[in-house]
Amino acid sequence: MSIIETHQLVKVFPGGIRAVDGIDFEVKAGEIFGFLGPNGAGKTTTIKMLNTLIQPTSGAAMVAGFDVVKNPAEVRKRIGYVAQDVGVDEYATGRENLTLYGHFYRLDGPTIKQRVKEIFELLDLTGYEDKRVSTYSGGMRKRLDIAMGLIHRPEVMFLDEPTSGLDPQTRTHVWEHIQNLAKAMGVTIFLTTHYMEEADHLTDRIAIIDLGKIIAMGTPTKLKQSIGGDVVTLSPYETGAEECQEFIRRTQSALSDKPFVLRTQATDGELAVYVNKGESAAPKIMRLLASEGIEVESLSVSRPSLDDVFLKVTGRTIRAQEGTATTYAQIKRKRDRR
Amino acid sequence: MNLLGDIQHQVIRHLRTLFRIRVWIFINLVQPIIWLVLFTQVFDSLGASFAQQPGLENISYLQFFAPGVVVMTVLFGSAWAGMGLLQDIDMGILSKMLATPVTRASIITSRVIASMVMLVIQALIIFTIAVIMGVDIATGVPGVLFSVVLICLLGLGFAAFSNGLALLFKRPEPLMGVINFVALPTVFLSSTMMPSDLLPGWLNTVRQFNPVDYGVVGVRDLVLHGYVWSDLWLSVLVLAAWAAAGITFGTLMFRAKAE
Repeated sequence: MSIIETHQLVKVFPGGIRAVDGIDFEVKAGEIFGFLGPNGAGKTTTIKMLNTLIQPTSGAAMVAGFDVVKNPAEVRKRIGYVAQDVGVDEYATGRENLTLYGHFYRLDGPTIKQRVKEIFELLDLTGYEDKRVSTYSGGMRKRLDIAMGLIHRPEVMFLDEPTSGLDPQTRTHVWEHIQNLAKAMGVTIFLTTHYMEEADHLTDRIAIIDLGKIIAMGTPTKLKQSIGGDVVTLSPYETGAEECQEFIRRTQSALSDKPFVLRTQATDGELAVYVNKGESAAPKIMRLLASEGIEVESLSVSRPSLDDVFLKVTGRTIRAQEGTATTYAQIKRKRDRR
Repeated sequence: MNLLGDIQHQVIRHLRTLFRIRVWIFINLVQPIIWLVLFTQVFDSLGASFAQQPGLENISYLQFFAPGVVVMTVLFGSAWAGMGLLQDIDMGILSKMLATPVTRASIITSRVIASMVMLVIQALIIFTIAVIMGVDIATGVPGVLFSVVLICLLGLGFAAFSNGLALLFKRPEPLMGVINFVALPTVFLSSTMMPSDLLPGWLNTVRQFNPVDYGVVGVRDLVLHGYVWSDLWLSVLVLAAWAAAGITFGTLMFRAKAE
């Protein structure tokens, strides 16, 4: 049974920006479903339409059996929403925050008290019920934030970038809690992220979204398999923009007709070469390039990631669009371009 | 009923927040004392020209100014009311709340009511201090309660406008700008500090469009002269209209801008 269903959902903001441009997808009950895409892809706008905060320009969406436009009140009763910002009241205690939301969801006093106990246990916050939120750590605030969307035992939880701004250790910890509550409470989880590892690690199924459109959908494993084989990433020795172009052009032509090469794809100053077996292809590539006199700064062999899926469809990487250069060569290249 | 419950729980939240900020309590207790003690010293030299004003014979500046302090405290307190909502918008608390079944009307209503509760407490403190300092309230306790009604209407309007502007701007800088732009001029363009007969003619015209003046005139009548119904009815009417305008503005902004 699908618990979220959208049909040609569109949101156009004043000024004509099509933030969400006709998306169709279904989420099954009990699933952890993720939207993966760079910032500005339309992830938050989609969440805000599904949780009734903004109205779609056109198209339709059903959440937990109700239309988000025609019956927003019924939708709100059945969902929990955890926004990107940690929406907790710092001057209140954890219990006070949670209790207020219990009242909003029309629960009676004893039920609220019982649920606070349960949820604090589930999210590993026991002992902090009556401490002010201002004394909580970042990870604890995020957990309390999640707890506030859980008090009424919703059918669907919307998590918008649940771990953005958290350090890697805390992120892993929050992942565990999200998986835990999906299992323990059977709640369907819809989350957005621009972290590939998060989508990969946490979700049952993902939709990759770019410029308001879904460009690929499926389980992370299947999506990565669609790339086939391994990825050999080559970066040029020379770092100027023109030299980069030249490197990519020459390397592509050197490798284009070789039987062990499935495909090549230029990205942000590097060249991704898709091959069947990375370990045996790497030395062959090195020999070939050496005979052509092409100098390589570095070579790495990896399994395809979700970013390779994104790259295949869009010709760009999510990583590069976040402005975070991940290797020294990339950082150097960015500096040189300025 | 859901609406009343929602309002109640949120009013408790807002008041709890204010009472937990110790500096805020301290400043709000000290400020009116400073107004009453220091300001009356500054203007003491006016005493001579004061005594010549019709209706103000044998009245000290303290007695004249005390109602003004009450109204100014209300004005400054309620004009800043939108800052709390801004904080909620900024922290993502408002968005999160709007995704719950909470009654929409309760969100601004509870903020305005919490502001009113604080204003009434502050006003009663000022009246008490004034009485201790020797101000004689002509209408006694019933007059104080009548004053509370008047300043509630005045504060309601300012608090609602402030919340509406917070939703419109969604940033603290323009809201602070507007408050600074409005607050002091509305005080000086009224008879808060000077009896109307000492004001220039144009100012006496301008102040007829200033809701703060209707608050000051009403409360001052009750403190100095008794029930001057010709003034009081007008004050009630104008301030009620002012409050209604504020509520309308706040509601419209909430419908258009809250997400």
